[in-house]
Amino acid sequence: MLEFRHVNVSCGSVPVLNDISAVFQTGRITTVIGPNGCGKTTLLQCLNGSSKVTSGSILLDGTDYLALPLKERARRLSFLPQVRTIIPALPVRTLVEHGRFPHLGFSRRKSRKDTMIVERTMEFTHVSPYAAQFADTLSGGIRQRAFFAMTLAQDCDHIVLDEPTTYLDLNGQRAFTDMIQQLKDQGRTIILVLHDLGQALRISDTLVVMRDRKIAATATPRECLRQHIIEEVFDVRIKEFSDEEGCYYFFY
Amino acid sequence: MRKKISFLVILLILCIFAGILLGSVHISPVSVLRCLAGLDRDSTTYILVTTVRLPRVAGACLAGMGLAAAGVILQGVMNNSLASPNTIGVNSGAGFAVMLTLMLGGGYTSTAPAAFAGALATTLVIFSLAYLADSSRTTIILAGITVSGFLNAGINTIKLLDTDITVNLTAFMIGSLSGLTFDSLRFPAAAIIAALFLSLFLTKALNVLGLGDDIARSLGLNVTFVRLALLVLSSILSGCVVSYAGLLSFVGLIVPHICRRLFGNDARYLLPCSVLLGACFVLICDILGRILFAPFELPAGVLMSFVGGPFFLYLLFKKKGGRRVNA
Repeated sequence: MLEFRHVNVSCGSVPVLNDISAVFQTGRITTVIGPNGCGKTTLLQCLNGSSKVTSGSILLDGTDYLALPLKERARRLSFLPQVRTIIPALPVRTLVEHGRFPHLGFSRRKSRKDTMIVERTMEFTHVSPYAAQFADTLSGGIRQRAFFAMTLAQDCDHIVLDEPTTYLDLNGQRAFTDMIQQLKDQGRTIILVLHDLGQALRISDTLVVMRDRKIAATATPRECLRQHIIEEVFDVRIKEFSDEEGCYYFFY
Repeated sequence: MRKKISFLVILLILCIFAGILLGSVHISPVSVLRCLAGLDRDSTTYILVTTVRLPRVAGACLAGMGLAAAGVILQGVMNNSLASPNTIGVNSGAGFAVMLTLMLGGGYTSTAPAAFAGALATTLVIFSLAYLADSSRTTIILAGITVSGFLNAGINTIKLLDTDITVNLTAFMIGSLSGLTFDSLRFPAAAIIAALFLSLFLTKALNVLGLGDDIARSLGLNVTFVRLALLVLSSILSGCVVSYAGLLSFVGLIVPHICRRLFGNDARYLLPCSVLLGACFVLICDILGRILFAPFELPAGVLMSFVGGPFFLYLLFKKKGGRRVNA
């Protein structure tokens, strides 16, 4: 379980996050949603130190997360950031192997276990056929899966993904949803930032709705719909359709 | 990969041997081997080999290794293929410090520490400038170019003010290995070897840094510390080389690029391969400079631009399946 307690982030004297308190339950999918610029990415960046927490605390299974050494953090929580300006000219397998970095000892040699996990995650994310290809020559969708594989290779109980579906086509998104469900079934805690509200409503157990650098609400998707929170925060109206396969949402 | 590395090692050994063998005075291979084995201690050949050729070969090797490694490190740390000891101003910093000590009457023993201090000071200035601004890759290069221009102006000012040292200045600005002795090499050699050894431990971190700061942090890398450590190492490497060989310009930029194309972007292989190839490259250029117009001698730096420039252009235009350099 990951818990933010009264977390504030400010850049100089400008507050970027304002008194954030949120709980991300173990074995659940929690999605952070909110309009552009509301602080979703900053919230996640507190986890890898890209944003400095000015006050408040973050607890990971009861221990003070921010006091942990960086390597230890990366062994317990894997975070795939959103912005990837640099696509390294490395084979996909090498890229995925980077996910084992926090687990390597001083000699930096990878063990049989590391190799096994790398192969398994490449299999899981369907990038095995591209293992020898260079990451910078691949299409956006496969690239995205390769980075996803790298994050999974960290083999952490907490997985945090910032807009993982942005570059994916419909098929890719469906495959992604399946993967996320499987990871959840393995008992892992999933934390997402999603822009696609329909997808967020369909796959999440809990929604954390943000507005103006604050948390507006934390509730199940059903509860959010019932209280018209999303409609208010995003200034939209929602129509819901359902059939035997599930619910569909229409925003206008 | 193992094959390629052993090929480079063999090439380096051949270059070293050629460096001792070839020159304005003809020495037979047999007598070179005898001298290296410690025989014929009284012959002129022995004296020539041990006091002229060997220090020069050692200096060339270390210069190539140091600058190539510094180039790989800087390109990795800044995620920028334009980075090299030259482009971010580290060489100019070292050069300026050397000129300053010479002008203030310091002997040739004080140049190595001065060059290191100059290189490190420049690196730290550039790093903190960039860090204070926004630590982005472009800022670092811009800061480097600015500082580099400023320091070159300083070098030229000294050159105009103090005509006594102008004589050596041309050779210094181009980069030359003539007249090296083991005495003048002792301190730089020790520092370069130590820095090379340490940097080999940081190749994995260099790889992770190549994924960008955000991902590197997510993988548990202390980005600020590792970057600083690598910058210090690279300034030791390039500063020490500049202290005795002058501003050799091409090695730090093109050897890493050639190796990227030949061996890929993985720093675990890229760094050792660049170190080996850098040594070969400087040795070959130095040998060519000695024999092409013998008894006249071209400084290694000139040959480096003549040989390296076209080869680099050839590599740039020859596309090789997917192995592009990070832009």
